Amino acid sequence: MADHLLELDNISKYYGNIIALSDVSTFVNAGEVTCVLGDNGAGKSTFIKILAGVHQQTEGSIRMNGQEVRFDSPRDALSNGIATVYQDLAMVPLMSVWRNFFLGAEPTKGIGPVRWIDKAKAKGIAKEEMAKMGIDIRDTEQPVGTLSGGERQSVAIARAGYFGAKVLILDEPTSALGVKQSGVVLKRIVEARKQGLAVIFITHNPRHAYPVGNRFLILNRGHSMGSFAKEDISIEELTRLMAGGAELEALEHELEAAGAVSPGGHHDG
Amino acid sequence: MSDTITDTAERPSAVYTGGDERLAYRGIFQRLFIRPEIGALIGVIGLWVFFWAVADPFGRAQGASNLIDYASTLGIMAVAVSMLMIGGEFDLSAGAMTGAMGILVIMLSKASGEFGGLGLNLWIAIPISFAVAMGIGFANGWLVERTKLPSFIITLGTYYVLIGAKLGFSKLIVDQIQVGDISEAGGHGFWVKIFAAEWNRNDHQWDQRDTVYVIALMAAIALVVIAITEMHFSRRHEGAKASGLPIFGIGAAGVVAGLVVLHTTDNTSGNWLGAAVVAAGALVGLYGFGAWRFQPIQGRGAVRFTPEVVKYLVAGLVGVGLSILIAAVMNPSYPIDGPDGVVEDDLFFPFTKQGFRATMFLIFVAVGFTSLLIAASKARRVSTATKSVVAMISVIALVVTAFFIRSESVAVKFRTEAFSVVLGLALFVLAWTILGLLFEERSAVDQRSDRLGSRLIAAAAVAVVIGMVAKLLFTTSAEIESEIAQAKFSMRTVWFIAFTIVAVLVLGKTRFGSWTFAVGGNKEAARQVGVPAARTKTQLFMLVSGAAWLVGMLLAFRLNTIQANTGNGEEFDYIIAAVVGGTLLTGGYGTALGGALGALIIAQATLGIPFSRWNSDWRFLFLGVTLLLAVLANRSIRSKAESMRR
Repeated sequence: MADHLLELDNISKYYGNIIALSDVSTFVNAGEVTCVLGDNGAGKSTFIKILAGVHQQTEGSIRMNGQEVRFDSPRDALSNGIATVYQDLAMVPLMSVWRNFFLGAEPTKGIGPVRWIDKAKAKGIAKEEMAKMGIDIRDTEQPVGTLSGGERQSVAIARAGYFGAKVLILDEPTSALGVKQSGVVLKRIVEARKQGLAVIFITHNPRHAYPVGNRFLILNRGHSMGSFAKEDISIEELTRLMAGGAELEALEHELEAAGAVSPGGHHDG
Repeated sequence: MSDTITDTAERPSAVYTGGDERLAYRGIFQRLFIRPEIGALIGVIGLWVFFWAVADPFGRAQGASNLIDYASTLGIMAVAVSMLMIGGEFDLSAGAMTGAMGILVIMLSKASGEFGGLGLNLWIAIPISFAVAMGIGFANGWLVERTKLPSFIITLGTYYVLIGAKLGFSKLIVDQIQVGDISEAGGHGFWVKIFAAEWNRNDHQWDQRDTVYVIALMAAIALVVIAITEMHFSRRHEGAKASGLPIFGIGAAGVVAGLVVLHTTDNTSGNWLGAAVVAAGALVGLYGFGAWRFQPIQGRGAVRFTPEVVKYLVAGLVGVGLSILIAAVMNPSYPIDGPDGVVEDDLFFPFTKQGFRATMFLIFVAVGFTSLLIAASKARRVSTATKSVVAMISVIALVVTAFFIRSESVAVKFRTEAFSVVLGLALFVLAWTILGLLFEERSAVDQRSDRLGSRLIAAAAVAVVIGMVAKLLFTTSAEIESEIAQAKFSMRTVWFIAFTIVAVLVLGKTRFGSWTFAVGGNKEAARQVGVPAARTKTQLFMLVSGAAWLVGMLLAFRLNTIQANTGNGEEFDYIIAAVVGGTLLTGGYGTALGGALGALIIAQATLGIPFSRWNSDWRFLFLGVTLLLAVLANRSIRSKAESMRR
């Protein structure tokens, strides 16, 4: 078997005597999407923070292209090509799209120590990169605060891709969005995959995960419920596993008896 | 509505656009109004006109020099504080620091005399004081970053440390609450030129000055008019039509010929002839320009007065009428030409009678013409023809107002200058109306036109600056003969202008500027994407203390002696100037230029009241009202700007 771009092997994380994550394994390849599903408190945040270099795993190993790696800091993870797009996006709402896109890494030109931002280049690249993601941004001068939630996620994803990310981690990108906006973000994920990025998509909504994912890691209370390829699992099975199997079924029956449930039993993410 | 062309959605979009077709078209005035400093700019111009009408010296070079001098030191600090506030922090120690730096450099450099000192040469003392300033700024920034406490608290501490140190050391070392006589220090001859050299206007005679001034101003007006038409009308769909060019040339030649007539003749009929030739030339020239570049209009629609249009039209005419009525009824029985013209019973508490009259007149004029403007914009949605009718009514109102000012105003200079400005404005609106009837307004984004337009406006601004600088810096033999009061300009103004320009460039064009907005807008986000947030903020604190050092030097070399309490309490003026200039109190939004304009507003309010011979006890009330108005204006402009960008 070929080496995966990013592989996690029996990762565990303890905070003192609290087991936040135990024995979690999965992998992601370039041009594929691995979805990490779990309810609140399932250990998704811990999982991201280990990959992003914020925390370090207590046990287990991370391998990139077969080489064992360890991320001691977010910068470390970033320089290894792992970019994380958090739910509360790293964006400055009153600043323009292009300034946000290049914030912290603005292209400059000038003579000697007198350097200024190459605006034309920055705007051009921002527009072009967004277009590659399939988003035609209307005006790169408009403040990010005026964009919709989905568009903001798109800017963050495009930015991560442009600055050399090989693995893109998306932390609940659809959780705060309406149905239509979620669709926009899911489309971006497909675009990123097409461009050869490996995407790790964290969500609690199986209906968002199933259409875009190649592989599904299901977490429940810090334990892995298994990592499945898409062929091996149906969306119903996914939903059932995520909620802890039997528990949800019992709840569904209960609610049905009360006459309050629709088939599927899920709110819109 | 089927016979109108105002339904923009149905018009064919221009073929020449360089932008994104989904960008909603914004009218030219909306485009100009989304800049954060626009409120302050309107405030500066509005206050200027106001004091110009009530206080004669305000329109003269002497008034301008006093005003700029007062605004310079305030402005240097306001620009630096604006940048710090954009970065999300405050510095309450900034005011006290200006005096502290002046005292420090005097104490370091003075060897002898009753005020004592260390006796260092200024070549050593000045770099040391600069290093101390940087140190204080660094300490402020470091403490704020380390403790994560609000900068309000940290710099309040620094503030008290500085006032205590100023007073304590002054008493301890020289046993006085002032230190002085920097002029005795070594190296003074050189450094006084850097910080306090003066330009005395009456020593610089240049008899061609007025020619340069008029040419520069006329060029500026022509450039602005062309820029606005360029940005407002739709380009010809089939490309430029060369046959319009000769007409444009004939019109331009007419304008020049008229100006020559105006310049060479010196009697009433000559003036009228010249003015008429200029007006006719301008109209012909603009028509030619339009025929050359713009798309002819397809339909003008019918004149139809909706109740809304009528409402604003009536309100506007009533406002203008009332302003004229009030000024006519309150007509003072004798002209007031100078301070000697004031007698006790002419005072209309708290203003002079003339001040009250001018105030009422200007308020009603402003209300009236604003209503007419709203009426025109409402009428525009009905049809082009209706808009033109409203605009023509406004032209007539403008002409009436111009002649009323000319015959009735008691402020001599205001009388002649305001007359020509208002009449020129009337001509402009007339030309605009006629062009609006002939050519099609633009309804789509055309970035090429916008770029050209904004470049032309920038060129016009340069021309205005050249004209004003010539007018302010030089005198003519005629002026010297009439013994007009002296006007002086100091190096502090040069420092102010240079500092503002550098600050504007740094904020807008460099990474540091970008990071300043970022750390003020969302510090955590900025840090996550790799902006050195702590370093940026510390550098901003150092920038403010560096500005305070510069102001300290300017004070020391101007005053020669500095009081221990110099600068204390001025930090709020800086913050106010920044806020008036459009900087958000919570950070992340604002401009450096706005801070400079805010300083000009405070200077105008502070100096305008004594100039108007009003009871200066009312200064703070006036200042407060001005500030409230400015902040409210900024708020509405900003929310408009935000909604427009969606």
